[in-house]
Amino acid sequence: MNNSFKPSWLLLVPLTLWLSSCNKEEQSVAPTIDNESLTTATLQLTNKANSADVVTATVDNLDKSADFSKATLNLKANTTYSGVILLSDKSQTPATDVTAEIKDRQNIHLFVYTPSPTSLLTVTITDKDTNPSPGPYPIGLTYDVKTTTAGTGSLNVVLRHQPNSKNGTATPGSSDLDTTFPVVIK
Amino acid sequence: MPTNYPKRPGIHWFNRWVGMLIGTLLISFMLADAVVAQALQTGLSQTGSLQTGSSQPAPGLACRDSLTGLIQGKDRKGSALATPLPGATIYLKETRQGAVTDVNGHFRLTGLCPGQYTAEYRFEGYETQVRQIQVSDSGLVGPVDTVITLITENITLQEVVVTEHRSEAQQLLQVESELSGQALAATRGQSLGESLKTITGLYSIQTGPSISKPVIHGLYSNRIITLNNGIRQEDQQWGSEHAPLIDPFIASRVTVIKGAASIRYGSDAIGGVILVEPKAMPTQPGVGGEVNLVGATNGRMGVGSAYLEGAFDKKLTGLSWRLQGTLKRSGYVRAPGYFLENTSYHENNFSGDIHYDYRRVGLEVYYSQFDTKIGLFTGAQVGSLADLYAALSRPEPLSQPGFSYTLDRPNQQVSHGLLKVRAYWRIPQGGTLTATFARQQNERREYDYVPFSGSLNPELYLKLVTHTGDLIWEHTAKPNPSNGVWSGSVGLNGITQGNVREFLFLIPNFRNYGLGGFAIQRYAIDRWTLEAGLRYDYRWLRAYFLDEPTNRIYTQTHSWGNVTGSLGASYQLRPDLTLTANLSTAWRAPNVADLYSNGLHQSAVAYEIGNPNLSPEQAYNGNLVLAYSGKRVTAELGVYHNQINNYIYLKPDSIPIIRQRGAFPAYSYTQVNARFRGVDASVTYKFTDQLSLTSKTSLLYAYDQTNHGYLVSIPPNRTDNSLRYEVASWGKLSRVYAQVSGLYVARQNRAPAVTERQENGQVIFTGDFAPPPAAYFLLGAEVGFSAALGRQPINVVLTGSNLANASYRDYLNRFRYFTNEPGRNLSVKLALPLKF
Repeated sequence: MNNSFKPSWLLLVPLTLWLSSCNKEEQSVAPTIDNESLTTATLQLTNKANSADVVTATVDNLDKSADFSKATLNLKANTTYSGVILLSDKSQTPATDVTAEIKDRQNIHLFVYTPSPTSLLTVTITDKDTNPSPGPYPIGLTYDVKTTTAGTGSLNVVLRHQPNSKNGTATPGSSDLDTTFPVVIK
Repeated sequence: MPTNYPKRPGIHWFNRWVGMLIGTLLISFMLADAVVAQALQTGLSQTGSLQTGSSQPAPGLACRDSLTGLIQGKDRKGSALATPLPGATIYLKETRQGAVTDVNGHFRLTGLCPGQYTAEYRFEGYETQVRQIQVSDSGLVGPVDTVITLITENITLQEVVVTEHRSEAQQLLQVESELSGQALAATRGQSLGESLKTITGLYSIQTGPSISKPVIHGLYSNRIITLNNGIRQEDQQWGSEHAPLIDPFIASRVTVIKGAASIRYGSDAIGGVILVEPKAMPTQPGVGGEVNLVGATNGRMGVGSAYLEGAFDKKLTGLSWRLQGTLKRSGYVRAPGYFLENTSYHENNFSGDIHYDYRRVGLEVYYSQFDTKIGLFTGAQVGSLADLYAALSRPEPLSQPGFSYTLDRPNQQVSHGLLKVRAYWRIPQGGTLTATFARQQNERREYDYVPFSGSLNPELYLKLVTHTGDLIWEHTAKPNPSNGVWSGSVGLNGITQGNVREFLFLIPNFRNYGLGGFAIQRYAIDRWTLEAGLRYDYRWLRAYFLDEPTNRIYTQTHSWGNVTGSLGASYQLRPDLTLTANLSTAWRAPNVADLYSNGLHQSAVAYEIGNPNLSPEQAYNGNLVLAYSGKRVTAELGVYHNQINNYIYLKPDSIPIIRQRGAFPAYSYTQVNARFRGVDASVTYKFTDQLSLTSKTSLLYAYDQTNHGYLVSIPPNRTDNSLRYEVASWGKLSRVYAQVSGLYVARQNRAPAVTERQENGQVIFTGDFAPPPAAYFLLGAEVGFSAALGRQPINVVLTGSNLANASYRDYLNRFRYFTNEPGRNLSVKLALPLKF
C-alpha cells in the first residue's frame, strides 16, 4: 500500500485546495447601513405672539461632512418662540422620520440645548417622558425659546442616549446627535 | 511497549481497509497537514533531562560530569543505514536519572558523579539495550559520545504506533518559553492572552477586563502568529479588541517563540509565534478523560471543561479519538469599590479529534468550534469627544450597579470554527512528508446600544473564511563521518481568505492569496548547533468597495513578495551553560485594516482611518540568550533588538472626526521606523530542595526613529518575584506547593507627551488622551496539591490575585481612561482525571 504514496501526488494538494476553495462571496459588496444614521436636523420655531412667524434652520448631511448653509436661526429680540426639533434619515429610501422613533423611545433619550454665550437665549423643555418616579424627566422634542437683546452666537443641540440610566441630567449615556446651529438675533 | 498487541503476521484486513481509505481520502479530498511524526513523550524539552529521582553526590566531589551520546535505530532486516531516534530515552538505574534525545537523536545527561552506572537505552518498538558506564574520578566520562544503535523489535515491527510529535517550536533554534503542567494548570479559567502573561517578555493588550490579546516584546495583533493545534489562527486579529478565539482548555502546552519567527510559520510573525498544542492522543486501549472545574470570586465566574478520549485495540489498533468541551460564564467584574457594568461574558466551545496511525502513514481529522459573547463595559461607551472628556475626568464610572450576570448590549458575539485534516507519511528512505488542510470560518458581530431606530441588527458584521494548506518534508538527521548531524525541513504554505462585511463600514470585503516556500537546515556537531533558514513569500490582496451613489463595485489590488532569512547558533559553553544567538529578518505585508479602515470602531472608541499607500514592514531581529542550569540556580538572560522599518501603527490624530454624533477621537495608520530593544531575565534560586525564589524581569525600550519620539501602547517594564515552597507529600496530599508572588509594573515614561488645546471650540489632543497611569504592585498567592477522592485522584489549585485589592490602571488597557482594573480575585481550580 505504501507504494501507492508518491510524494509528487501530494504536491498537488495545496493547489487543488485552492482551486476548490474559491468562493466569490466577497465580490458582491453590501451597502453601508448605519442603524443610527441621521442626516438632517431641523429646528422649527413659531413665534408665540404670531403663529404666522415661523423660523426654520436645517443642518443637512450630518452623517458625512455637514452642510450648514441653511442652518442659521434668525430670531427677533425680546420674543418667545415655541420650538420643535425634526430629525430624519435621508440616507434610506424612503427617508425615515427619526423624531417619531425618538418619541417611541423617549424614556432613554434627552435633548440638551446649550446656547453660547449663555446670555443669548433661554431654552426651556416643555415635554416629559413616562419614566417612573423619581421621573418623569424632560425629553426635549418640544421646547420654548426666549430671546432678550440682539446678538449673535450659537445653539448646540445634543441628543443623549441614556439606556437604563436616564436621570434628567445630560451626564449619563452617549450622544446620538451633537450639532450646532448659528444664531442671529436682531 | 504495548503488551496488548496481537502477534499477527501480515496485514490485518481492517488495517488494509483503513490504509486504502486514507489513500482514497488523500486523493479525493486532497486534504492534509504538516507534522513531524516523530515519537516523543509529552512535556519533554529538547535535551531536557528527566529527573526522576535525586542522586546524592559523594561529599566533596563535584558531580559535574556529563554523558553525551547519540541513539539511533536500525531495521533488523531492512536497510543497513541507521537513523537517529528522537525521543528515545536513556536511564541510569543507580541514580534514577534520565534524559530524552533531541530531534537529532542526541542526549546529554548532566550532574554525574564518578562511579559505575548501568544505562538503559529505550525506544518504543526497539529492543532495549543495557550498558555499563564508568565515570572516573578524573571527571571524564567514558565512553564519550557514545553511539548506541537499537535494533527494531520483531514483534512490534508492524505495530509501532506513532502518536506524538515533537513540538514544532522545539525544532527551531529560537528563543522560546513554554507553559505546561502545573504552571498551565494555575492559569486555568483565564483567557489565552491573560495566561501567557506569566512568561517573561509577554504582556497583554486589553479592552476592559474580558478581552485580552497577547503581546510579545511589545508587538501584537497581526505581528504574532498563533498556531491552534498546528493551524494558523485567522480571526480578524488586526483589532486590538479582538481576542484570540482559542479555548485554552484544549492546550496541554503553550509554547511561545519570541522574536521574528517567520521562516517556518509564514510571513507576518515579526513579533513571534504562539503554539497552542493539545495533549498527545492516547495509545493505551481504553477510555479516559478529565473534568476541569474553575470558580472565581471576581465576576463570580464558573467554568466547566471536560474531555473524553480513547484508543482501540485489536482490530482497530492505531485508531484514537477525543471529544472536548468547555462552558464558561462570568458576571460583572468588580474593581475595588464598584462593579463594571455589562462586563459579563459567555463562552461555549467544543472540539473533536480522530487519529488513525498505521505503519508509516497516519491521518487526523480535527474540528473545533469556539463561540463567545462578551459584554462591553458601558462606562467606556462614548458618543463624542465631549463624552470622552467627561469620562476621562471622572475618577470612577458614572453608573455603578450591583452584581449581575446580565449580558446586554453593547456586546460582541463571535464564533470561530476550524476544520483540519492532516496526513503524514514516513518515507522509508528518510524523512516525513506531511500535508495539512484547514478551513476556518470566523463570524464577528458587534452590537452597540439599541439605536433610536429600534433596529436589532449588529453595527458591524464580518465573516472571514480562511483556507490554509501546508506541505512539509522533514528529513531525518543523517550522521556524517565527522559525527555531525544534518536535519531540516522544506515546505510550502498556502493561504487564501475571503472577507464579507455588512452594516457599517470599517474594513472592506477582500480576497487574499499567500504562498510561501521555505527551507531550514540544521547542523549539529560537538557542542555546536547551527541553523539557517530561507523563505520566500508572495501576498496578493484585492479589496472590493461599493460606490454607493452609482451602486457600482470597484476594486483595489496590491501584491508584495519578499525573501526572508534566519541564522542561528547555539554553543554549549559548559554542560550547564548554553549560549544561543539568532539573527533573522521578517516582513509583514500591510493587512486590509492597515490599508482601508475607514469608520467608527465603536468598541474601541476610535474612528480609524487606513492608508492605502503603506509599504510592508521589514524587521531585522537579533537576540542572544545565555542559559544556565546548575544545581541550585537556573537562570536565563536574553537580550533582543528588533529594528522594524515601516512599522505600522494606529496613531492618535490631532484633528477629531466630526459626525452626527459629535466629534470622535480619530486614529490613522501611520508608518515609521521603529526600534524595539529589551531584556528578559529570569532566575530561580533553590534555597533548599523545598524552598525556591523565582524572579522574572522584562524590560523594553521602544523608539520611533522617524519622529525621534516614543510610540503609544508599549508595555512598561515589569518584574515578577515569587517565593515557592513545595513538598512531594504532606499527609494524604501529594505534590503540594504554596507560592506568594509580587508583580511590580513601572509607569510607562516612554510614551508620547499628552497635550490638549482648544481650537475653534474643538478640543484637540496630541499623543494620547491621558498620560500613562502610575506604577502598581500586585500581590498574588497560589496553593496547589493532589489528593485522592475515593479512588479518583484530584488536582487542586487555589489562586489569589490582587490580594491587597489595589486600585490601579494598566497602560495597555484601552479602557484605562474609564475605569480601574479588577480588584481582588480568588479562584479554585479542580482537575479530576477519569479512568474507566
